[in-house]
Amino acid sequence: MENLLATPTQSRPQPLLTSPAAGGTPVLQLTNIEKVYQTSTIETVALNRVNLTINRGEFVSIMGPSGCGKSTLLSLMGLLDEPTSGTIAVDGRLVTSYSDRELAGLRNLKIGFVFQSYHLINDLSVVDNVEVPLLYRPGMGGKERRQRALAALDKVGLGARTGHFPGQLSGGQRQRVAIARALAGGPEIILADEPTGNLDSVMGEEIMDLLLGLNRQDGVTIVMVTHDEQQALKTQRVVRFFDGSQVG
Amino acid sequence: MLRHLFTLIWNRKRANLLLISEVFFSFVVLFGVSAVLITTAKNYLAPHGFDYEQVWRLEVRAGQGLEMPRAELDDVLRQVKALPGVQTVALTSGNMPFIFNTNNSIFRYKGKESPTTNVYDADDHYAAAMQLQLREGRWFAPTDDGSNHRPVVISQDLRESLFGDAPALGKVFTYGVPGAEIKPENEFLVTGVVENVRMSSDFNAAEPAVWLRLLPYDTTHWETANVLVRVAPGQGGELQEKIARTVAGVTRQWTTEVRVMNDDRLSKRRYTLVPVVGLSIMGLFLIVNVALGLFGVLWYNISQRRAEIGLRRAMGATGASISRQFLGEMLVVTTLGVLGGVLLAVQFPLLGAFDLPAQRYLLAIAAATVAVYVITALCAWQPSRLAAAIQPAMALREE
Repeated sequence: MENLLATPTQSRPQPLLTSPAAGGTPVLQLTNIEKVYQTSTIETVALNRVNLTINRGEFVSIMGPSGCGKSTLLSLMGLLDEPTSGTIAVDGRLVTSYSDRELAGLRNLKIGFVFQSYHLINDLSVVDNVEVPLLYRPGMGGKERRQRALAALDKVGLGARTGHFPGQLSGGQRQRVAIARALAGGPEIILADEPTGNLDSVMGEEIMDLLLGLNRQDGVTIVMVTHDEQQALKTQRVVRFFDGSQVG
Repeated sequence: MLRHLFTLIWNRKRANLLLISEVFFSFVVLFGVSAVLITTAKNYLAPHGFDYEQVWRLEVRAGQGLEMPRAELDDVLRQVKALPGVQTVALTSGNMPFIFNTNNSIFRYKGKESPTTNVYDADDHYAAAMQLQLREGRWFAPTDDGSNHRPVVISQDLRESLFGDAPALGKVFTYGVPGAEIKPENEFLVTGVVENVRMSSDFNAAEPAVWLRLLPYDTTHWETANVLVRVAPGQGGELQEKIARTVAGVTRQWTTEVRVMNDDRLSKRRYTLVPVVGLSIMGLFLIVNVALGLFGVLWYNISQRRAEIGLRRAMGATGASISRQFLGEMLVVTTLGVLGGVLLAVQFPLLGAFDLPAQRYLLAIAAATVAVYVITALCAWQPSRLAAAIQPAMALREE
């Protein structure tokens, strides 16, 4: 089994782009997105008129200071939240009127998530954790789930740790499990929210290499929120945010 | 998904042990309360085996140091029976139905031993006064005066315990210590068999009973004569006064107290209900506590697992499937607790505990099982709805 961590990667500094790569097929389109959090006394504008298109096969970084709306944007892209106004299209289809069931199905089929704090279920073994998204896939039997989970773990180089529990793994290994979980369902898009934020630089590099490999070799579209300029520069496009607005 | 739930619960076995124990103990308490309530209800619905309506109880007292000659007592009985509205008068012992006075013993027949059996004295009119239901043979009659053994009538359950399926009429059974010489007065000749009777209270089961014929007797040294009077429907206080005056008319020293048997029954019913109601209230109180405990634990559990809920939503779970998952987890935990409880509960019918029929225990097991599932489902329902309503984006950001 190929060890993706061993795959050499190249740092490819890209110019700052705010428009989609020419000729790409849009997989995610956000149009005039506004997100306002309202309490009885305060109205907080998290995102202000954001227009962003992610093309199939792209690796896009989203950067900006804390509180600028990066994670909110990622939640909207992941269909975990609804915009206050504006539209989101997945594969060219508006999802604004989708029901909870339809959105859940779309997330399950098309999107994989990787989080800064891994979000592994500590009471489940590594392989059981990786199987979680497949539990919600209609018609998939236990045998197929297990095969897919094992294949995903092999892909991230954790084929020998399937029976371990998250508490027995290092931070980098946990994040690789989280990536395997995101991969298990065969998603078109991986949304990664500061995937290296909790890791030291060496482990951070390993995870970054893994994501780059998935993008380049398997063609997985990746949108990554990061604070790390160096890592952002390795991706094809960097989108910058400030105070809820797209600034670059 | 079920396998996933079992895996999750097994891996959280330490955390779930408390919940499983709580369900187990709830089941055991509910089983106990159900067994008592089912038994009480079954007894209540069973026939008494006699008719207590229109029966009065007379206690005729001679007074301390006074004699009660047979001739005078017979005169009292005759005059009371002659009163308009009185249908039958019978002499019996003090352990009349529904009062706190018992007389019991154990009898033997050819090596077989009866269960504890209530023993009543009865004259030739007792069956008519109480309207006992004769199954075999006959009630006492003057022709029994010449009998070599004391004539008795027994209840069906005593007959079964002493004679099984064999004929009982004409058989002689005894009272006494095994191996010791049996006195002639402790040998009893069966002349009849009546249906089982429940004379203790509305909520008690039938108990084996034997009625010993009051032999031609000398009442001189009796302090009290216990008399049953069956009256015509509609009789009340006026007749009671007449009876008291009639007794006083025979001899002014004697006193009498007239009680309505139905009043005794209602009084005994209240007394018997106290422990049943107490047990039910305790059971209910315990169940409410358990329910609140389960509710709190589940609520806490969900608040601790917000990130997991957010994650599952992100992975493709709908709100409904999150709700189903938490309900499912609770039902699996409940099943484990109930299985432990059932294992304990089935020992009761297997060991024949408390002489209750197995069917009653099985009913109690079924009732406790249903109750535990309903309680846990109700307790899990609201927290599960809350879990389903958790916003995944918020939950994932909290950690």
